[in-house]
Amino acid sequence: MHILLRGRDIANIKELATYDKHDGFVGLKNALAMTPAEVIDVVKTSGLRGRGGAGFPTGVKWSFIPQHEPVKYVTVNADESETGTFKDREIMEENPYQLIEGSLICAYAIQAKAVYIYLRGEFWDIGDQLDACIEALREKNMVGENILGSGYDCEVYTHLGAGAYICGEESALLNSLEGYLGQPRVRPPFPAQKGGGLYKEATVVNNVETLANVPYIMREGAEAFKAIGTEQSAGPKVYCVSGHVKRPGNYELPMGATFRELLYDHAGGPLHQDRSFKAMLPSGGSGPIVPLTDEVLDTPMSYEHTAEIGTIIGSASIIIMDESVDITWVASKVTKFFAHESCGKCTPCREGTYWLDKVIDRILDGRGTAEDVKRIADVAENMAGTTLCALGDFAANPIIHTIRHFPDDFAQHVQA
Amino acid sequence: MAIIGNPKYEERINHHLAKYETKRSAVMPLLFIAQEEYGWVNPAGVEEVAQILNLDPTQVKSIAGFYTMYSEKPKGKYWLHVCTDLPCALKGADEFYAWLKEELGVAEGGTSDDGMFTVEHVMCLAACDKAPMLQCNFRYVENLDQDKMRELLAKWRQEAAEPVSAGV
Amino acid sequence: MSDRVKINIDGTEYEVDAGSNLVDAAKWHAGNDIPVFCYHPKMEPVGMCRMCLVELGTPARDRATGEVALNDDGSPQIRYFPKLQTACTTVVSDGMHIKTETQQVIDARNDVLEFLLSSHPLDCPICDKGGECPLQNLTMRHGPQSSRMYFEDKQLLEKHYPLGDLIFLDRERCIQCARCVRFQDEIVGDDVLAFHERGRRLQIITNSDPGFDTYFSGNTTDICPVGALTTADFRFGARPWELNEVPSISPWDAAGENISLSMRLDRDFDGKAMIKRVMPRQNEQVNEIWISDKTRFGHHFTRSNERLQRPRMRSGAELRDSTWEAAIADIAEVLRNADGDVAAIAGSGMSNEDLWELRRLMKGLGGNRLGAWPPTHGGAESVARAGVGFGTNLGQLGKGDAILVIASDLEEEVPIWRLRLKQAQDRGAYLVVANARDTRLEDFALQGARNDKVVEGDAIRYAAGDAVAVMRDLEKKHKAIAARLSQAENLVIVAGAEGLTLEGSAALAQAAANFLIETGHVGRPNNGLLSPIPGANGMGLHYVGYSPAASLDIAAKPPKVLIVAQAELLDDDPTAQAWLSEVETIIYANFFDGGISELADFMLPLQSFAERDGSYVNGERRVQRFYTAQGPIGQALPAWKLFASLRQAMGMSHLKPSAAAVMLELSKNVPAFDGMRYQALSQVKRQFPDVGSRDQYYGGTAYSNEGGLGIQIPSVADGKKLKPVAISEPEAISAVDGELLIVPVTRLYNRQRNFRPSLLMEPRILAAYATMNPDDAQTLGIIHNDVIEISAGESTLRARVCISDEMAAGAVALPRHMTDAAVPLTMTAGTVSRVSQAVAAAD
Ligand SMILES: Cc1cc2nc3c(=O)[nH]c(=O)nc-3n(C[C@H](O)[C@H](O)[C@H](O)COP(=O)(O)O)c2cc1C
Ligand code: SF4
Ligand code: FES
Repeated sequence: MHILLRGRDIANIKELATYDKHDGFVGLKNALAMTPAEVIDVVKTSGLRGRGGAGFPTGVKWSFIPQHEPVKYVTVNADESETGTFKDREIMEENPYQLIEGSLICAYAIQAKAVYIYLRGEFWDIGDQLDACIEALREKNMVGENILGSGYDCEVYTHLGAGAYICGEESALLNSLEGYLGQPRVRPPFPAQKGGGLYKEATVVNNVETLANVPYIMREGAEAFKAIGTEQSAGPKVYCVSGHVKRPGNYELPMGATFRELLYDHAGGPLHQDRSFKAMLPSGGSGPIVPLTDEVLDTPMSYEHTAEIGTIIGSASIIIMDESVDITWVASKVTKFFAHESCGKCTPCREGTYWLDKVIDRILDGRGTAEDVKRIADVAENMAGTTLCALGDFAANPIIHTIRHFPDDFAQHVQA
Repeated sequence: MAIIGNPKYEERINHHLAKYETKRSAVMPLLFIAQEEYGWVNPAGVEEVAQILNLDPTQVKSIAGFYTMYSEKPKGKYWLHVCTDLPCALKGADEFYAWLKEELGVAEGGTSDDGMFTVEHVMCLAACDKAPMLQCNFRYVENLDQDKMRELLAKWRQEAAEPVSAGV
Repeated sequence: MSDRVKINIDGTEYEVDAGSNLVDAAKWHAGNDIPVFCYHPKMEPVGMCRMCLVELGTPARDRATGEVALNDDGSPQIRYFPKLQTACTTVVSDGMHIKTETQQVIDARNDVLEFLLSSHPLDCPICDKGGECPLQNLTMRHGPQSSRMYFEDKQLLEKHYPLGDLIFLDRERCIQCARCVRFQDEIVGDDVLAFHERGRRLQIITNSDPGFDTYFSGNTTDICPVGALTTADFRFGARPWELNEVPSISPWDAAGENISLSMRLDRDFDGKAMIKRVMPRQNEQVNEIWISDKTRFGHHFTRSNERLQRPRMRSGAELRDSTWEAAIADIAEVLRNADGDVAAIAGSGMSNEDLWELRRLMKGLGGNRLGAWPPTHGGAESVARAGVGFGTNLGQLGKGDAILVIASDLEEEVPIWRLRLKQAQDRGAYLVVANARDTRLEDFALQGARNDKVVEGDAIRYAAGDAVAVMRDLEKKHKAIAARLSQAENLVIVAGAEGLTLEGSAALAQAAANFLIETGHVGRPNNGLLSPIPGANGMGLHYVGYSPAASLDIAAKPPKVLIVAQAELLDDDPTAQAWLSEVETIIYANFFDGGISELADFMLPLQSFAERDGSYVNGERRVQRFYTAQGPIGQALPAWKLFASLRQAMGMSHLKPSAAAVMLELSKNVPAFDGMRYQALSQVKRQFPDVGSRDQYYGGTAYSNEGGLGIQIPSVADGKKLKPVAISEPEAISAVDGELLIVPVTRLYNRQRNFRPSLLMEPRILAAYATMNPDDAQTLGIIHNDVIEISAGESTLRARVCISDEMAAGAVALPRHMTDAAVPLTMTAGTVSRVSQAVAAAD
């Protein structure tokens, strides 16, 4: 049975009546019966960590919101633009009420005035569906004033982006929502602080999947949630598998399941029987690439274990490459993504992504030298850690790690 | 026609204006409306959005230029956004895109001679398990191959007699 | 500001103001120039360029107790951030440690510069900024020796993109620091610049119509840290190292902007030194580091071909060229024979030294009729009494303070004041604008929020002609506003003259002074009265003894002999023709002919502010000196020398050797000028922020002040307690029998004689619209764009009409100096009729 991808078990759970019938809004009702601080405590205890990539403990994030501030917001990060990520889309398409319920619980816990769901623009039809859900909930007194007679008021809105990966970065998302360029903000102040959030008010930004976990926690209790997953990585996770596997798609497994289980038992193993796995990007384009060795395959998919093999689980957008793939080309693909998506605000990222792309093109064209390979590694090192937001680090990762793990793939393109 | 005073958009515009704390926040949804009306974000649309939101047109233009889903140039009737990002490319998206451009006789970003199709490659559209894929006027079309695509092109050409709006 | 914190920079401890920016603190206290590109101390930090990265640490605290953890030796443990931090976005805090000289920091600077240079064109040898370019300077100091990127992969972008008529953008040179964007947004409040696209394609655009031409646009070229923005006036005109900087003062308005004239020997000017550009010179109390575009681009009159070249004397029907010897001898003769029936009218562009010598000449002749020109604002007396207190700095107004601007359109009259007062509102001051029509500052007052910041303000719209009553009855009629003004910690009132007669404006200033006195807002810094008295030296005229009332008196009883010095009588008031014809001998001294050649008996060429030394008193009563920058035009003399020569010719005294000597005498004889010797006026002290210093990061090319900060004359209230004075209220002007009040208004860009030679500005001068209320228009059967005729007494004027409900009913606003036909000073009310559209079309 799924906790997040419940649409796979229960037909029509995207209908309010069906959702209702299957324990819908029990979590919300339980939350409304508690004090906001108690709700935050439950989420803290559950060990839920953010599914947007950084894995920050969700309850702790909520507890940063200053209680005395009169105006606070929740923004749901439904920008889902990381290369290889398509989990939030399925959750919202097939199980929209669970996201809204989770958002309302979060909103209640921090006493937010409103929830804004920031969807990537290409998800406009999901936006329409969510708008319809919100209206249906309004009829049932679960959105708007005095929700379920609790005395708590909250609005829920959707907002469409328009094609910019950077708007998934939380402060760029807030700028975009305010009608400014989707460029990251200087921090501090952080979104959770007065001055740093939406309209300068304290704001929680959470990923879709993160919030979709919350109704379960409030329904079944923190301990039940903690029982799933590992010590430091609690709960279920949706893994997006793409690339050279037989059955690409979303798979919901507990955190801590191994890559092998995911890739063989669920995704069906290599796409081409005669080709073996070569490499994996476990966190889309932005995390370090790793060779798909047995050691890696046997690593549990958790925050702590992936760190041990020199990569991250991030948003779990797992891109698989078999032996036919030239990793130099992968580096180029990923770099083109970041050159296209850099917002341009800070120097190392704006200039670095541009030049990495140009020089890798030279290498792929056969115009490059061994010096050029060193050059891009060095440029990437110079970008890392100096940029305004993490996109600069993301863009440096593929270069640094592709060259580190697959030097021969680069060497074959250049004269010594 | 204009978007200001156009009964077609009045309700939507008011909905967006009511949704946010500041008028400025409505700039993105209003730009989509302008794009829907004019087929692209043309200077008139920029002016109107600026007027509705009491912004300098420069600010509106700036927003339109930042995001890739707004087009600041006229385009064909059907916008085909083919994902050629890594996961799709691992499943043949580059070859598919090259074929499609040849089939339509256009270069990257170009519009077919009949003014029907504008093709562009885009970054990941969150449909990596259904590659190759594209969005046609921002509607998902997935699990494509050449045969399927030929059929679709024919179907869209046929449909073209009826009015279709570009934009969300 | 008394709160201080200790920070440690590279091992040395410094005590700095709490809340200050780390870059500023390091520069100010430690002389440590942390390199910056995007940061500018006048604007919010944005952390974009990443040039200012440093190692940053703060005292570690014990999680449980919150106590600072200590090392074994008892010193606090410092926990450094794992990554380098941007100093520009960091506010100092107690115990903070930074390292700016470690290898990590050096590498980061080198890397950021390499990134910037990888896209920057290599055209320093032909770049306007070359030689004073922060990017160039920092590259010398911190940069890589060569580029590792491929030249052929660089983006090629537009090199000469006009953002408007005045400012050009070189897209290849731009380093995307957003200083220009932020200047327009935060400082000016006109967000007409923005970025377009993203990533490496990010570019500056404007979509404004007309193009980028706010009144402050030129400042963006100063703060641009590279040569991406250049002015149409100067671009490719000279190399910075060929220029010789001469400190000066803007000759245009009461702000007294400190400027620097960039001089070069130039082919275009017969190989003599000419002004190549006008730059701001830092004076934080006056103009900070900003100047208006009028000041920057309006300098061309100093070397216009139309300038008077040599003395001319009437011989029968015509004026003939003469020599100074002959002219002075003849004028001395005329003056001797005038039997004391002499008078003088002096313009507000005359320096204090000029005014003093003219006054001495007149006194020597037994004349005491000293007219100040133009006689449009009678508030100088009140400013001298209750003007802003000694030590005032509008840059300090903020939260808890209040500002009232009444009967003035500051954007057009004194743009720098409007800039600074808008800033004060941004900092939290309460801004009230009262007028009979809308003005730019009123927009700001009513904006409510700007840049997500709540700003507070109100507007009062009154019927034309009611300004004095509004001010006098503020407490009765506008209780809430008056209460907030009275209770403000500091209060500044700007009292203008729009729609008022000379007596009316004097009464308004008195009423404003009374309000200030009654509410305890005089005699201390940042409190008191300001008045946009026209010209650069309106207050100097007052202090040296000239009055606008005397000008009206002279017009009413014309003398036998009249000296008109730097006053455009006919340009300002065509009706002056009538009384001038009654004067037996007119001695006219100025830069241009001024349309008076048929009446004048002597036409004498004067030197402009650029050609000689002198001093002005600005609207805040600050005495500031300017220096000789260029050689004289033809045989032009400084006015003081002309009058002193006349005195000498008449045996009254010996000629003084220099303007400095004249000032010395003035300082001994006129109490207001006590202590104002040139030496004192030239004193400078270190100012924050440290612009234009050796690193030049902040200011780009704004110049540090080496010519003197000037000295403020104390107001009467600064020395003693004042009592309100009864307002000498003039008869209200009324419009009856279908007449409309005529409200002459000032526009910054106009057709005044001195401004016209700046041809670049010509297209920026708006058409001369007369603005009227829709109700009046309907009654009179007038429609938008009609040409109307306005008749009052002897005078008639034609103008095209703009109908706007932002104009009070019963009045018509007429811009002064918009056509060659000026609005007569005597025109206060008249009939308005539609001429015809045929005329309009033919116009
Ligand atoms: C460049 C960049 C892109 C990001 N894109 C996304 C995204 O598409 N979706 C998302 O949920 N988080 C994204 N994040 C992470 C968010 O900044 C933020 O950490 C997250 O929304 C927090 O929610 P969580 O705690 O629930 O994970 C991105 C971060 C960066 C730096
Ligand atoms: S034009 Fe100059 S000031 Fe403006 S962003 Fe570019 S470099 Fe900065
Ligand atoms: S980032 Fe600090 S000066 Fe630019």
